[in-house]
Amino acid sequence: MLLFILKRLGIWVPTVILVVLGVYALAFYGAGDPIKLIFMRAPGDVAYDPVRIEAIREQAGLNQPFLQQFANYLFNALRGNFGNSLVSGRSVWSMVAAAAPVSFQLGLLAITLTAIVAVPLGMIAGMNQNSRLDYAILGAALLVWAIPAYVAGPLLMVFLITVLPGAAVPYGWGGIFDARIILPLVVLSFQPIALIIRQTRAAVIEVLSEDFVRTARSKGLPESVVALRHILRPVLTPIVTQLGLIMISIVNGAIFVELVFGLPGLGRLTVSALTGSDYPIILAITVIGSFLVMASNLLVDVLYPILDPRAADTRSGR
Amino acid sequence: MSERLLDVRDLKIEIDTRRGRAVVVDGIDLHVDKGETLGVVGESGCGKSLTMLSLVGLLPNRIHTTGGSAHFAGTDLLRMQPAELRAVRGGRIGFVFQDPMTSLNPVMRIGDQLMESLRQHKRLDKAAARQRAGELLKLVGIPGAEQRLESFPHELSGGMRQRVMIAIGLACDPDLLIADEPTTALDVTIQAQIVELVKGLKQRLGMSVVWITHDLALIAGLADRIAVLYAGTVVEDAPAELLFRDPAHPYTRGLLASIPRLHGEDGARLSSIGGTPPEPGRRPQGCPFAPRCPLAEAMCHDIVPALAPLRGVATPHRVACHVANRVREAA
Amino acid sequence: MTTQPATAPLRDDEPPVNLWRDAWARLSRNRLAVLSLAIIGLLAFVAVFGPWLTPFDFLSQNLDARNLSPNWVHLFGTDELGRDVFSRVVYGTRTAFVVAIVVTGIAATLGVILGALAGYLGGPFDRFVMWFTDTTMSVPQLLLVVVINASLKPPLVNFMEAQYEATKNGFFRNAIIIDFVLVFGSMALILWPPYARLIRAQVLSIRSRPYVTAARALGLTTPIIIARYIIPNAIGPLIVAISAGLGNAMVLESAFSFLGVGVNPPIPSWGNMISDGLQVWRNHAHLLAAPAIVLGVATIAFSFLGDGLNDALNPRGRK
Repeated sequence: MLLFILKRLGIWVPTVILVVLGVYALAFYGAGDPIKLIFMRAPGDVAYDPVRIEAIREQAGLNQPFLQQFANYLFNALRGNFGNSLVSGRSVWSMVAAAAPVSFQLGLLAITLTAIVAVPLGMIAGMNQNSRLDYAILGAALLVWAIPAYVAGPLLMVFLITVLPGAAVPYGWGGIFDARIILPLVVLSFQPIALIIRQTRAAVIEVLSEDFVRTARSKGLPESVVALRHILRPVLTPIVTQLGLIMISIVNGAIFVELVFGLPGLGRLTVSALTGSDYPIILAITVIGSFLVMASNLLVDVLYPILDPRAADTRSGR
Repeated sequence: MSERLLDVRDLKIEIDTRRGRAVVVDGIDLHVDKGETLGVVGESGCGKSLTMLSLVGLLPNRIHTTGGSAHFAGTDLLRMQPAELRAVRGGRIGFVFQDPMTSLNPVMRIGDQLMESLRQHKRLDKAAARQRAGELLKLVGIPGAEQRLESFPHELSGGMRQRVMIAIGLACDPDLLIADEPTTALDVTIQAQIVELVKGLKQRLGMSVVWITHDLALIAGLADRIAVLYAGTVVEDAPAELLFRDPAHPYTRGLLASIPRLHGEDGARLSSIGGTPPEPGRRPQGCPFAPRCPLAEAMCHDIVPALAPLRGVATPHRVACHVANRVREAA
Repeated sequence: MTTQPATAPLRDDEPPVNLWRDAWARLSRNRLAVLSLAIIGLLAFVAVFGPWLTPFDFLSQNLDARNLSPNWVHLFGTDELGRDVFSRVVYGTRTAFVVAIVVTGIAATLGVILGALAGYLGGPFDRFVMWFTDTTMSVPQLLLVVVINASLKPPLVNFMEAQYEATKNGFFRNAIIIDFVLVFGSMALILWPPYARLIRAQVLSIRSRPYVTAARALGLTTPIIIARYIIPNAIGPLIVAISAGLGNAMVLESAFSFLGVGVNPPIPSWGNMISDGLQVWRNHAHLLAAPAIVLGVATIAFSFLGDGLNDALNPRGRK
C-alpha cells in the first residue's frame, strides 16, 4: 500500500510543478516585468530611467533566465515566500495566511454539508426513478445549479431580511459558529450539492440494474438493507472520484460568495488583486488553488482501491 | 405418496410496452413435488425465467403478474404480503442465477455475502453465521473454505463463483432451490462439475430443485420431470424418461432432432426448426407454435390447445397439441 | 384495464427505425426538453433580431428618466443613466449568445481535433494531450481566467497599439474588440479540455469494438471506417456535451463580466448588469432582477435540454 502511495506521489509531484510552471510562465511572459509595472503605476508622470531600472532588476534577480527565476520562485514558495504585493508592499504570504483560514473553514463545511445532504437525496431520487419525488429532487437540484452564486446570494439575503427581520444581517465573518455563516455556506454548497445529487442518482440507477442487486433481493433482505449495503457502497466510488470537481466548484464559488457576503477570504483577495493587477497575489492564489485541486485528486487516487477492490494492486487487500 | 410442494396454475405475466400491455406468459401450469427435480426447458424469450422470478416477487419493472396462482406449501405466493414473501424468498425458496460474474456484489467479501441471508432468516449471530458459511463453502466443494470467506468475487474463477452462488442459494436450508441457467455461462467441463454437485446435494439434502435451461441434453441426466415451454406456455410436461423416449409435441421433437449427433452420415445437414418464436404482443391466435409446425392443421391456428394427458389416458405425460393427441389415438 | 389485443398482427406500414428518428421521438415526448428548446429558440430569436426591434437603443441615456421602475414605456424600467433596461437585457442576450456560440465553437473544434488525434495516434502525443487536459482542468476555472486575462491583456494591448501605429486603422483602438478577444481567448482556453477527453474516449472505445474489427476484416479503408463508424457513434455524446457547454459558457461569461474580466460596460452583458444591480438592489430591485431572472431561465433551459438530449441519445440509462 505504501508503495502504491509513493508511486502515485512520484507522478503527482512533477505534475504539480509543471502546473505551477505553466501558470508562472503565463504571468511572466504575459504581464511582463514587475519592476516596469511598478514604475508604470507610480503616480504622476515619472519618466523612468532605463539605467535605474536595469540596476533594480539586476538586484532583484530579474535578469536571470526564465527557468532560473522559476526555480527561485519555487524555492521561495516552498518556504512560504511568495514575494510582496505590488499594491500594498506587504508580503503575499501574510495576506494569504490571514485570508486562508476563512476560506478553508468555509470550504470544509461546504464539503461536509454536501456529503450529508446530497448523497441521501440522490439515492432517494435514484431508487424512485421517474416518480414525482424523483422529479422534485432533480428539479430542485437543477434549479439550484442554474442560479449563479452571485445571484442567489443577494436574493436570499433579501428574502432572509424580509422574512426574519430580527436576524443578523449575513455580512461579515464571525467564525464558524456564528449564525452569519449559514447563508454563505448554503449558497456556496449549491453547486456541489446539485452536482452530487445528479451523480448519485445516475450511479444508483446504474447499480440498480446490476445483477447482484437482484441476488441480494433474492436472499429476502429488506429493501433498506439492500439499499445501504449493496447499493450505497458501489455508488460511493464514482462519487468520491468527483471530489476534484467539487473542490474546483468550491474554489470558484468562494470568490463570489465571499464577495457578496463580505467574507475576508481568499476569494475576495483574488478579486481585489485582480482589479489592482497585483500579480504576485494572483499567482500565489492560483498556485494554492491548483494545489488544492490536485491534492484532492491525489487523495481520490489513493482512496480508490480501498473503495473498489477490483482496482487494487496485485497484492490484493486482506 | 410425495406431496406437492409447488403448484402453479394458469400463471399469466404481461409486460408494459409503448403500445400497451403485451402477454409474455399465457397461462402456465407447473408443479414440483417434494424431493423432485423439475427441468424447465425452452429457448430464449419463452418466459421461463420470468415465471420463476414472478413466484417470489422479483419481476423487473414494467413486468407484472396478471393472473393465476402459485401455491407453495399451502399458501399462494402471488397473494402474499411483501413481508411474508420476503421471508419465503431466500428462506424457503433459494435462487441461483445465471451469471456468477455479475450476480455477486464485487465490493463485498464472499463470506459477508453468505452470512447476510443466514443472519436475516436464521437470526444467527456473527460467529455462528461465520461457521455455517464455512460449512456451506465446504459443502459446495470449495477448497480452503475458511480462507475463501475473505476473498472478493473477482479473485475466484467462474466455476468457483457459481459454487458460491449455489451456497448462497442453499444457505438457509430451503425446501426448493430454483436454478436459472446456472451453467450456461460456464465452460463445458465446469458445467459437468456443477451438475454433479447439484445431484449430490439433492440427494444429501433431500430438497426439490427447479432447473431452468435451454439445453435438453444437459437436463437429461438431472431432472426427474421436464416441462417444455414455448412462447409463454407449457407445451409438454412429462417424466424425463417418457419425454425422451416418446416425445409427443412437434416442438419437443424438433428440439430433440436438432441436437447434433456425433455419429451420422457425412454431409448430412443439421436439422432445425424453421421460423422464429412470436414476439410478445404479436402472439398468433390459436396454438403459438402453429406457424412453424409441420403438422399444423386448420384447427391449430384457431383454438389454443390445452395441456392434457396424452391420448386421454391417465398418464403423467401431458401435451398441449391437437394433432399429437389425435394421431396417437389412431395409432 | 384496457390493453391492446395481444394478437395484433404485424404492421408493414411502420417506418424503419434509426438512431436519429428514435432519438427525436424520445426527445419530443419529453415535455420539459421541448419547452426548454422553445425557450432557447425564443432567446436566440431575441439575440439575433432583438436589438433592432427594441424601442430604445441600449446606449441612449435619458437623464430625466432615471431609475424608473417597470412601466408600460420601459418594460423593465431604467437604470441610473436613464437607459432602458429591457433593451439592455435584450442586447445582453445577444452578448450571451455570441460569446457562448463563438467560445463553444472554438473550444469544441480545438477539443475535437486534439482529442481525435490523441485517440487515434496514441503514443507520446496522446500522453501529452492527456497531461495537458488534466492540468488545465486542475486549475480552478476562474483563477485560470483571471491569470490569463491579467497576463494576456498587456501584450495584447501592446500588440494592438503597434498595429495602430503601423496602419493607423481605428479598428485597433477599439477597446471593445480587445475585451471580446480576451474573453473569447481565455474562455476557449479553459473550455476545450472536456471536449478533447470526450472525443478521445469515444475514438478509443469505438476503435476497439468488434464491429470495427469486422469492418476492417471486410477490407474497409480507414477513412471510411472513421466516417461511417466512429463519427456517427461519437456524435451523440458530442451533441450532449455541446448543449451543456453552451449553457456553461453563458454562465461563465456572465460570471466573468460580473467580476470585470469579461465584457465591460457600456456593452451590456447579463453579468455586468447584475454586478451594477448588486450595488443598488435594495432601492431598485428591478435592476438586479431583470438580468438575473433571464440568466437563470436561460441556464435552466440549457440544462434541461442537455438532460433531454442525453436521455434521447443514450437510451440505456433508462429502466
